[in-house]
Amino acid sequence: MPYLGGEEALRELRRALSNPHVQADPARYRGAVLRVIRLMAQGADVSGLFPEMVKAGAVADVLQKKLVSFYVRAQAPRQPQLALLAVNSLRKDCAHPSPAVRGLALRTMCGLRMPGIQEYLQQPLVNGLRDKASYVRRVAVLGCAKMVKLQGDCEVDGALVNELYSLLRDQDPIVVVNCLRALEEILKKEGGVVINKPIAHHLLNRMPDLDQWGQSEVLTFLLRYKPRSEDELFDILNLLDGYLKSSSPSVVMAATKLFLVLAREYPDVQADVLVRVKGPLLSACTSESRELCFTALCHVRQILRSLPGHFSSHYKKFFCSYSEPHYIKCQKMEVLCELVNDENVQQVLEELKGYCTDVSEELAQGAIFAIANIARTYTEQCVGILTELLGLQQEHITSAVVRTFRDLAWLCPQCTDAVCQALPGCEDTIQDSEGKQALIWLLGTHGEKIPNAPYVLEDFVENVKSESFPAVKMELLTALLRLFLARPAECQDMLGRLLYYCIEEEQDMAVRDRGLFYYRLLQSGVEEPSSIQWALWSWELHLTSVCAFISESLVSEGNKEVPEVHPDTLMSEGNKELLKAHPDAGSLSLIPDVSLTAEQFEKTWLSLDTSCQLSLPWCGPVHADTIQTALRVVHIQTIAMSKAGAQPWKAYLSAQDDSGCLFLTELLLEAADSELQVSVKQTEAKPEALQSFISALRTVLEAVAGLES
Amino acid sequence: MAASALFILDLKGKPLISRSYKGDVGLGDIENFLGVLQQREEEGTLTPVLPCGHLHFLWIKHANLYLVATTKKNGNASLVFSFLYKVVEVFCEYFKELEEESVRDNFVIVYELLDELMDFGFPQTTDSKILQEYITQEGKRLEAGGGRVPSTVTNAVSWRSEGICHKKNEVFIDVVEAVNLLVSASGSVVLSEVLGTIRLKVFLSGMPELRLGLNDRVLFELTGRGTNKSVELEDVKFHQCVRLSRFDSDRTISFIPPDGDFELMSYRLHTQVKPLIWIESIIEKFSHSRVEILVKAKGQFKKQSVANGVEISVPVPGDADSPKFKTTAGSARYLPERSALLWSIKTFPGGKEHLLRARFGLPSVRAEEEEGRPPIAVRFEIPYFTVSGLQVRYMKIIEKSGYQALPWVRYITQSGDYQIRTS
Repeated sequence: MPYLGGEEALRELRRALSNPHVQADPARYRGAVLRVIRLMAQGADVSGLFPEMVKAGAVADVLQKKLVSFYVRAQAPRQPQLALLAVNSLRKDCAHPSPAVRGLALRTMCGLRMPGIQEYLQQPLVNGLRDKASYVRRVAVLGCAKMVKLQGDCEVDGALVNELYSLLRDQDPIVVVNCLRALEEILKKEGGVVINKPIAHHLLNRMPDLDQWGQSEVLTFLLRYKPRSEDELFDILNLLDGYLKSSSPSVVMAATKLFLVLAREYPDVQADVLVRVKGPLLSACTSESRELCFTALCHVRQILRSLPGHFSSHYKKFFCSYSEPHYIKCQKMEVLCELVNDENVQQVLEELKGYCTDVSEELAQGAIFAIANIARTYTEQCVGILTELLGLQQEHITSAVVRTFRDLAWLCPQCTDAVCQALPGCEDTIQDSEGKQALIWLLGTHGEKIPNAPYVLEDFVENVKSESFPAVKMELLTALLRLFLARPAECQDMLGRLLYYCIEEEQDMAVRDRGLFYYRLLQSGVEEPSSIQWALWSWELHLTSVCAFISESLVSEGNKEVPEVHPDTLMSEGNKELLKAHPDAGSLSLIPDVSLTAEQFEKTWLSLDTSCQLSLPWCGPVHADTIQTALRVVHIQTIAMSKAGAQPWKAYLSAQDDSGCLFLTELLLEAADSELQVSVKQTEAKPEALQSFISALRTVLEAVAGLES
Repeated sequence: MAASALFILDLKGKPLISRSYKGDVGLGDIENFLGVLQQREEEGTLTPVLPCGHLHFLWIKHANLYLVATTKKNGNASLVFSFLYKVVEVFCEYFKELEEESVRDNFVIVYELLDELMDFGFPQTTDSKILQEYITQEGKRLEAGGGRVPSTVTNAVSWRSEGICHKKNEVFIDVVEAVNLLVSASGSVVLSEVLGTIRLKVFLSGMPELRLGLNDRVLFELTGRGTNKSVELEDVKFHQCVRLSRFDSDRTISFIPPDGDFELMSYRLHTQVKPLIWIESIIEKFSHSRVEILVKAKGQFKKQSVANGVEISVPVPGDADSPKFKTTAGSARYLPERSALLWSIKTFPGGKEHLLRARFGLPSVRAEEEEGRPPIAVRFEIPYFTVSGLQVRYMKIIEKSGYQALPWVRYITQSGDYQIRTS
């Protein structure tokens, strides 16, 4: 910016600022200062004017002082030496008769953010804390927090902390809340401000004087307080009752949280609170501000998680309005999914059906997934609606519907027939990878129920050369092999062609390898693949369909709350199949949720002898999450585990059967691509149970290893 | 809470105002804001909270500005959003309109206000009436007083300063009820609710003590009066000044009001009311040639009442042309920029029925882009009438100087989100 920051302009300003005539005329003087600030705001370098500006701060005009204060705060980090100049005059201002000037000077000094300022700050701050004007006290209290932050790691001054604690009794409500905030910052390392009984009760009594910000923050601080007796608890709850009806949604939310936490041991009280915040939450959901509406909807979803059906009678409030932004519509659809019951399902589905044809593709697909979600409970109606949607022959709709069909056929097997009947004709409309994969999977898995399945797959085989997604080719290979096992006569020829193409012409290594794998499998006869298919495909299922299911529901999540995904509940289907396939697993029943601390584990581990040792082949890196999740499914807890990639890699596991016998296990992998050493210890000598446990563990580990290789 | 910085950006994402409260967020970080926003918008995953590296942006849009708060902590999102809206409200009271131009013109006062509104990331004085006492646009008043600080700050009542004096002592009470209605394309009422607010405009001297009496059903039941002319209020919320404990014990609404304009209370009614203006429409689209629209509007309220400024906005295809209208009352206009036809009727008495016939030409080539199906939206205002039947029975004003003050009451029912879906 040649002109703005030009020497000329600066020189002229310096001349103006130091001109005694200008200085004598307050309006002109301020005008000059204002021009400097303007230049600064436009990004020009005005640091050269520092001495003149500091001098300009020493006038009676408060506004001019403020302007100089902006300047000093912005420039101080760049010129610490010169900033000391300002400190001097600011200290003088700290003793000014006007509270506005005192407050401003103090705030400016605390905002300087330069090393070595603390020693100059100490005294004015202590004076500020005792100032008779509450305006200055407010600034001083937060100033203490700023000073401690500047100091960094230094010891916290105990006297200062005590002074702040005593200021919690200040007359001025903002000073009180600022004290809490400042103490929280200052005592961060020691766990923040301590709320004991006198402080808690004092704060509760001051609540009515506070503004909405103060109220919601104090309510948050009170979360730390634990009432001593039941009477005290209910006294507190009574005092706080009114805040559930506050006009500020953030206060309502904070009060609700406090109620829920305090009444931890009284489920009736908790339930009652949730009933009472229904009204305020609902009105926040229709609030004019979209953002507040969004946060309210997120809260509604949280509540629905613990109290399903809580808002069921108010389902109409969650119908979308045309002009709402996407993030609200998506949240509302999620809410609708969760509050469906026998009475409103018809209306909710009717409404969601309307959204499926929305112009926005994301929204339309979101609505389809929402219907699919409801389909897990109200299968028949939903499948009917989804089938109807196929008639529209819209690319994105058909793709989304087929994807939901795939998941439904897996999660609710009873609807498979209906799904299979709806499929013919879809292949012409689907263009995207996800949709094609889903369709191919359905054709492969349930091909025996779809008369023209081989012919549809044949089309895909014909066009495999121009297929651009490797994932689709993989899916096609698997599907065709499955269909071949079910309907060999119709598929043999094209399977041959596909395998030939994959092995001879395909560029993608994964596809080629899969082709080769199947080819060799088939070479060993038709019986072999049939027996292997269960184990293999159960895992694949979990990977493709269930993961897709989770990720789809994730897409529409707001980032406000991180959704809790329970892979174990979703995965269990796939894994249980696996375990059932293993005959030994039946004789042992492990208890879920055994709580064993690391110390206990270590003690027991050291006191026992190894009951059994074995080694399993392992190749490739370890995926800790996968192993942990897989083990949890069979009720084996992970106590500790090395980081992925560590060498040697170790993990400690524990499990307990219904007779109370503990199984402690160590997994040891010296280096990648070697053997996994498994040592098991047992608290009671029960060889039979041990054998079952080991076989269960082995099944899981082998499955995981097979998955990863 | 702790917002570490507050930014005001123009639509291009360039910061107009940046105020860092904790010194841990720089100008460099905010440069990413628009990029993140646009990316998420493309992906269709836009939300009011945008994560970006170690930061979270909490943003709102007002006119041609983005107001962005950043936080590094797990802050209280609804508090931050309330604060951002408060900032907008305060600025609007100072500059009438908050937009790029007014921010540029008043940047000094904007910084001044930001300094007072928040310190170290915590909201401080946010009441615009109190702020206006010591931050003025001219700054001249301050000069004279040598920097007077707000007296209120030490008051027991934080929302009212002492020593307020008015020549004429008056209170204006507005009972405003907004009707939200959603009618499905098949003509059934999907959602209907009434949101009521009582707004006060207070011009009273000193520290007056006010008491408001309503025909509240719970109160009538408490005092053993008949309940036929009373109203059951749900989800009642009050301004901070109302003593909640008294309301809870005997349903008395007593308070020391702030000076000037404020919202005393809000309530809602779930009881289904008959839609005040009923709309039936037939929209026939003959591809490549024309659209024919027939709208029938019926006033379903008392014959004595009159709806004013009725505006019915009917969606038409974006590529429609050569409009022709025929109405039995009011006038119709085509608004191509909103793809809608606006039928306005200045006065619409209760019980009457009006018709609109419109015809648009359509180009023979169909537009590529598919259009949504926007609903028919209706706006209206019916004075001297409340849907709920709520009435102000009395307003008692007691001040120690003993002056006489007059309360004025006004009732209005208006449209809120009033939509009729089209097929």
